[in-house]
Amino acid sequence: MPFEILFGLLLLIAFLAFVACFFEDAESDCGSQSNPNSQVQLAAQIGYVHRFFNKAISGEPLSNCMYATTACTVTWVLLRQFEPMFPAEKWKAAILAIPLGVLAGEIFHLIFATTAHLGRTSGQSRFQQPLYLDVFYGHLVPIMTHGFMTTFCITGIAYLQANLGTLSGIPELNHPFPLPLLGFIWGITVGSIGSSTGDIHYGTERIFQDRPFGEGKRVVYHGMITRYADCGIRTQKDIVAFCIKYGCPLTGMTFGMIILFENWRTVLGMLGGGYLTAGSAAGAAAAAIGIVIGLVIGIALILGNLYLVRWARKRYGPFVGE
Amino acid sequence: MDPITALLILVCVIVGGLLASLGVHMIPVGGAPAAMGTATGIATGTVQLMFGAALTGLFTASTVATFFETPSPLALVLVALSGAVGAMLMMSFTMLFANMLYVFGAGVVPVSGRVEVDPITKEPQTPYKTPQTDGHGVPNVSYISGWIGAFLGGFGGALMYFVLKNYAFPASLFPELGAVDAEMISAAAAGIAAAGIFVANAILSAYNIGGTIEGFHDPKFKRLPKALISCAVVSALCGLCVIIASWGLMGGGV
Repeated sequence: MPFEILFGLLLLIAFLAFVACFFEDAESDCGSQSNPNSQVQLAAQIGYVHRFFNKAISGEPLSNCMYATTACTVTWVLLRQFEPMFPAEKWKAAILAIPLGVLAGEIFHLIFATTAHLGRTSGQSRFQQPLYLDVFYGHLVPIMTHGFMTTFCITGIAYLQANLGTLSGIPELNHPFPLPLLGFIWGITVGSIGSSTGDIHYGTERIFQDRPFGEGKRVVYHGMITRYADCGIRTQKDIVAFCIKYGCPLTGMTFGMIILFENWRTVLGMLGGGYLTAGSAAGAAAAAIGIVIGLVIGIALILGNLYLVRWARKRYGPFVGE
Repeated sequence: MDPITALLILVCVIVGGLLASLGVHMIPVGGAPAAMGTATGIATGTVQLMFGAALTGLFTASTVATFFETPSPLALVLVALSGAVGAMLMMSFTMLFANMLYVFGAGVVPVSGRVEVDPITKEPQTPYKTPQTDGHGVPNVSYISGWIGAFLGGFGGALMYFVLKNYAFPASLFPELGAVDAEMISAAAAGIAAAGIFVANAILSAYNIGGTIEGFHDPKFKRLPKALISCAVVSALCGLCVIIASWGLMGGGV
């Protein structure tokens, strides 16, 4: 029975990872906090006045790390306060502690979103870039709600991993790191994945949608962003509505697959090596099995990339534009 | 702390730092231009990407480290390899899904901007490249370079974690906290110290790269020796700081 619960919890963690990275990318599109924001910055300087939200607080990994670590730290403190109230069922304390912790993290997010947008936009007043208050007010709540989902899922993942053994009935599986450090790790990782994959759909396609499809964006196009939407003038809400159809799910899938296979190979190693029954005497076998499974997956991914690149070359052919 | 333990910490931290630097030079990073399909590589910063991969590896390595009650050379190798595979998997999935976005989301073929022919698959690159760009996507040579780079970086990070966990900040340093909390504090102190040393080396190497690099076939890779010397010095200083901190926690050194 504990193994069924264990694999169920691992699937839940992978699902939360998918949702976390999905919303991380959506949040970065919603507030333009990512590498393509360099074009939003540049646009005003070359005379392309726009109604985009300009929120580059820092790199996505560092900002997400800050929100997640803040949330996990507050959650950890609250758990220490609430858990004695439910001595037999400590998980009940998490139901109240996690949302409150995430709310604390999101207050930081809101403050930084406000100061970043106002500071950056007012700094561009010399290029006649106005500060649109309706854009400012209209984007704060979407930014915060998308960010809340990301931080909530990361805090949930960290809580489950820190208490995996307690929840599944196999005490050896509790992760050695405390909750705030797990939040730090997954905050950095979710940001670096969201920045690496999701940005491409926003930067290469959506922000230059009036340029030819099927080519990398030339240096001469830089700054000449698409400022008009299907109806009216484009804001970040049009960006996120587009990227959520392909960029966000693929970004979520990346993080979900990483978490799934990382946990999966470690647990399979534990089961195959007999660590859960024989203890540390079987530690070496458990570790070795996990390493071999990981290497097999890694080699399969190289072959997957070889196939993808070969397919794209054959399907699209050489560059035919000017 | 006896001199042999101190020397072991110092050597492992320097080796871990050098591997981190080597890994950073091998991962294909395109920075902001890559997000617009204007440069080859992954569309984020060097340090952030490598740090994300290494921390994923550190997560698994810290789990695997709990499999062993006492440290041994075999345990060290297995924990470091677990970290290496974790970092490699993170990088491999990220590069593959980034390529899927380039191919299906933007309709571009992954090509190198630095070489005319892929050194591994021998596929021509120039005819597929968009003019006025420095390549786009993650071609096969960059993918394999990134795979190896993440593996080496993850190995270095996990190596540092294992040594710091067992020799610099062992749970026996915190007896008044109780067994469970002492283990947690020990793991957290080692994890934070290893991540900190790793990121210092990654930042130093990122300055050497200057924003973008495609992998081991990129001409910028030849700058590696300078970065290795700098990273060895910085890692040695970090290692000394760790030894002093550990010595202080042990009550002035016994």
